Amino acid sequence: MAKVLMKGNEAIGEAAIRAGCLNYFAYPITPQSEVAEYLARRMPEVNGVFLQGESEVAVGYMLFGAAGAGERVFTTSSSPGVSLMSEAISYIAGAQCPAVFVNIIRGGPGLGGILPSQGDYFQSVKGGGHGDYRMLVMAPASVQEAVEMVMTAFPLAEKYRNPVMILGDGLIGQMMEPVEFPEHLRSEPSKKDDWATNGMDTRKSATRNLVKSLYLDPEALNNHNLLLKSKYDRMKQEEVRYESYNAEGEYQALIVSYGTMSRVCRTAIDHLKEEGIEVGMIRPQTVFPFPEKAIHEAASKENCRVVLSIEMSMGQMVEDVERAVMGKRPVKWYGKCGGEVPTPEEIIEVVKEHL
Amino acid sequence: MNIHLTGILIIVGNYGSGKTEVSINLAVERKRAGLDVRVADLDLVNPYFRTREARKLLKDHGIELVLPPEQYMHADLPILSPAIAGMLRRPAEVTLLDVGGDDVGATVLAALADALQHQEIRMLQVVNPFRPFTETLEGCLKIRREIEAAAKLKINGLIGNPNLIDETGPEDIYRGYDFVRNLSEKAGLPLEFLTVETGLLPEIDASRFSCPLLPVDRQLVPPWKKAGGGGPSGPILRP
Repeated sequence: MAKVLMKGNEAIGEAAIRAGCLNYFAYPITPQSEVAEYLARRMPEVNGVFLQGESEVAVGYMLFGAAGAGERVFTTSSSPGVSLMSEAISYIAGAQCPAVFVNIIRGGPGLGGILPSQGDYFQSVKGGGHGDYRMLVMAPASVQEAVEMVMTAFPLAEKYRNPVMILGDGLIGQMMEPVEFPEHLRSEPSKKDDWATNGMDTRKSATRNLVKSLYLDPEALNNHNLLLKSKYDRMKQEEVRYESYNAEGEYQALIVSYGTMSRVCRTAIDHLKEEGIEVGMIRPQTVFPFPEKAIHEAASKENCRVVLSIEMSMGQMVEDVERAVMGKRPVKWYGKCGGEVPTPEEIIEVVKEHL
Repeated sequence: MNIHLTGILIIVGNYGSGKTEVSINLAVERKRAGLDVRVADLDLVNPYFRTREARKLLKDHGIELVLPPEQYMHADLPILSPAIAGMLRRPAEVTLLDVGGDDVGATVLAALADALQHQEIRMLQVVNPFRPFTETLEGCLKIRREIEAAAKLKINGLIGNPNLIDETGPEDIYRGYDFVRNLSEKAGLPLEFLTVETGLLPEIDASRFSCPLLPVDRQLVPPWKKAGGGGPSGPILRP
């Protein structure tokens, strides 16, 4: 199939349709409003539903309701909107419903600004809502990767009966790149008859299914949490994804960076190479589960003197990098937020400073 | 074949068709042709990648750019600077209006109806057939009707901007050219020019085209392309 030139936000909308998701609930917010704009046009063409909620709180529960009824559902939002949805995310995780969330992060906290940021790392990876829940969180570095992650997110959400989040910074939503929609990533929705409230007639059952997150009995709630934990442990076993760059040979420093920030780092690494300075990079594609083992091994290489966590946030992922490196090498942070993306020149300076 | 456009030029088109890259590069080309050029950023719908990001380049070329006040530069507010009506009443030799995408973006033009009255204007539709919703002639004609209705102005010409950014090859340019040629016939609108990225020019057989070419140096690039010579506005980095 020929490639099309698409804005990240449009491509994310199209990817959901191509993945077989025909239910989109959302509330507009910069810099992700183009998803809604695009799907307002496209959903009617494929007999899908786009329903704009009166707020992100309402959208979160629209997702919960439709997911509980066994439908494939997704939403897109940006930072403050995701904060409003966080209560519902906790309920959806607690009730074990599959749902896909896309966060096109803008600068925060509070209203912040509309330019790109990665300031919602903690919110997505450590839980923005209450209780012991986790989301599987994937962070694309290109529009094509955003497409593939969105298409993969639906079967993963169903595999774990858990929310999956695509964590993109504002640039992922706003930039344009040529994309294609891999046919092999289209998937059939899983059978949900044994748990979803999808109608007793349709599944010809005499037993009622109940979708809930309420467990008043302490033992039952503990068991429920143990069950959830076993799913998160399984994610750590089976879903870790990362990409390494210039990491085959020896290097003096290791960069850990994700999303579009990692592309700036790549440019910096290429320039440093020309100067004779070798720097490797691990780019987490899943930030939960975090590629701890890969980072530990890469940091342990003989000549590696320092590990740098480079983020468009004030030092969030660096805590996971420190955990992964386990004191083997010094771990340093460099980052900016507010919309100014660190430039390749700045990264080059930072690397040199630490060598 | 040279571009001969002068007067008030209004650049419209579907969302993401490349209006801003076209406007910036056309402004520089017209300036180099010896004309006095002024540009207004009328994109009230797009939050990133707007003309305002090329303000340094335009300034270096001696091209005046009319923008919202500095403190609102990164606001997603539909601010229409009063200076724009003024610049339309006393137009430069070339006055370029870079309008936001789709009919939504073109709505702003209706607000400028008074200032545009009794002026010679050309409203040009940018078409990239590799973008969603404009990959068919019908799609382009639909956008045309919607923009004309929102702007309360008629489109007078077409600009062919076929590209897949970094992945554009000569074949895409030829295919895109054929598409806009057909569109030009079907719409009864002249094809004013075709854009080709400067780096691709040596591979292009220009004798295939019956319209002028506008060489384009991409200005709205993501941060990782700005080092090591990512276009004239990017800081040139040398080890």
